[in-house]
Amino acid sequence: MTATRYKKIERGKPISIMVNGEAIEAFHGESIAAAMLASGRRAFRHTVKGKQARGFFCGMGMCFDCIATVDGVPHVRTCMTEVSPDCVVELE
Amino acid sequence: MFEKPEQTDIAIIGAGPAGVAAAVTAAHAGAQVTLLDESPRAGGQYYKQPALDAKDKQFPPTVAENIRKGRELLSDLQHSNINFQHSTLVWNVLPEERILNLYGPQGAQNLQAKRIIIAAGAYERVTPFTGWTKPGVTTVGGAQLLLKSQGLKIGQRLLLAGTGPLLQLAAVQFMEAGMEVAAILELQSRKEFLLKAPKLWGHWDKLGQGMANQKRLLEAGIPFKFGYTVAEATGDEEVNGAVIMKVNGKGIPVLGSEETIEVDTICLNYGFAPAVELARVAGCTMVFDKYFGSFAIETNENLETSVNAFFVAGETRGIGGVEVALLEGKLAGAIAGSQLGFTPKVDESNLRKEQQQARKAVAALGTMFPLKSGLCKLVKDEVPVCRCEEVTAGEVRRAIEMGVTQLNQLKPWTRVGMGRCQGRICGGILNQMLADETGVSISEIQPFTSRAPIKPVPMESVGGGDDSGEFTWEDHVGYGAART
Repeated sequence: MTATRYKKIERGKPISIMVNGEAIEAFHGESIAAAMLASGRRAFRHTVKGKQARGFFCGMGMCFDCIATVDGVPHVRTCMTEVSPDCVVELE
Repeated sequence: MFEKPEQTDIAIIGAGPAGVAAAVTAAHAGAQVTLLDESPRAGGQYYKQPALDAKDKQFPPTVAENIRKGRELLSDLQHSNINFQHSTLVWNVLPEERILNLYGPQGAQNLQAKRIIIAAGAYERVTPFTGWTKPGVTTVGGAQLLLKSQGLKIGQRLLLAGTGPLLQLAAVQFMEAGMEVAAILELQSRKEFLLKAPKLWGHWDKLGQGMANQKRLLEAGIPFKFGYTVAEATGDEEVNGAVIMKVNGKGIPVLGSEETIEVDTICLNYGFAPAVELARVAGCTMVFDKYFGSFAIETNENLETSVNAFFVAGETRGIGGVEVALLEGKLAGAIAGSQLGFTPKVDESNLRKEQQQARKAVAALGTMFPLKSGLCKLVKDEVPVCRCEEVTAGEVRRAIEMGVTQLNQLKPWTRVGMGRCQGRICGGILNQMLADETGVSISEIQPFTSRAPIKPVPMESVGGGDDSGEFTWEDHVGYGAART
């Protein structure tokens, strides 16, 4: 595990989101990228051309490395998108 | 194609320190202000507020202090003259009509304003090396945002590499949160640093901040290595370590100086570059900022650009930091307001004096931490330099050998800058590569042309696409080809 939640912050009750068919824990207000990182996932997608793993990079919505399909919408920037209860993320 | 636009007195793009200061000043003068930002919350990157329902005292102390200051500034946005539209991208601008094309929670919208202030902020500069696309390599600012907005520690053991004062500040924040900082690599040599340090003489706040951070890192025993850079991110699919190298005064790596270091995360920051693309779509003239080595938007002393009714403030005018951004925001808000017949409640001449002093102090800081094109020697031919289109350094070098001298020639030749980020990351890198390979000065190499949409938007927002409601590749514009 590399990314971890800072323990001193109270986050309320966890919710659950689906990532590639697997339920992971998330908290209200969190970005999808943060929830995926906290679940131990760093490779968010593989590139089409080079089949290379990509993950969180710029964190501010400019690099488009952290994109995933969210609730059926492709290429959503997970660093800019908050989790919602029952949201479904499919990795690209 | 477009509905009749909404009307406002002053439209401000970017709700960071400059944009917020502009909005508050103009609103207090009596103008109707529409403040637009792509993020769900105001604050920009510098004053990014927590996305969680958490009290700031639960955050590590240095981060908590930053959050508190930001919240204080943002509380002034609660003014009846300010309409803040969050999660809204300004993807195009029609300069003559002063119309902005927006895409936000309500879908596509158009906004017409009498004055437009662009305060779009800046991007972090990075430089490529073997393995730099692996998960686990991030920007320093990205890792900071995860901490202050999400309360997330990005890794267990970090390497910070780049140049400039952000490295030390971020290291202090990461350390306070309980992350281990294995080392900080500063591109400049100790000698260069000491030779240039007297330029900061008189700018005591900047010197003081830097020294306080350095003292804390020293006490914590964190190695601070002058004249070093990261040469490789190791690991199969994700980062499990780094190879670091000494560099000479030109940034050229010294062979044989390689050391390996075990880390799970590598954070990069080689300074910043202004976000100029929207102002360029409007037609605003650029100027080369010699202090920070990047193109910025040119203005007169009233912060007016070459395009009538368009102002820029803060980083878009040239890297300046938070104090400059706040002062220029106020100034732009006041001048735009008074041009429309309102009476700003600020002392304009005093403000101008403070702004010019603040710019001067920051220029001194900029010259201390230049990016060095010799770093390109580190980039092996097989390393992708354009992350989106996965164009390698070798492909770029071959194009340069064939006679390419400008970024806009490289683009059709190699596909660099044609992907989703639209050259925001590779633009600065390619600039350095061209300078390094051809010997031409950075200031002579024109950046990529900016075109609307400045970021990918669904086809429906530009009045096209099919009506099936299903998203497809073809339903997005601004992606270039769907190759990656």
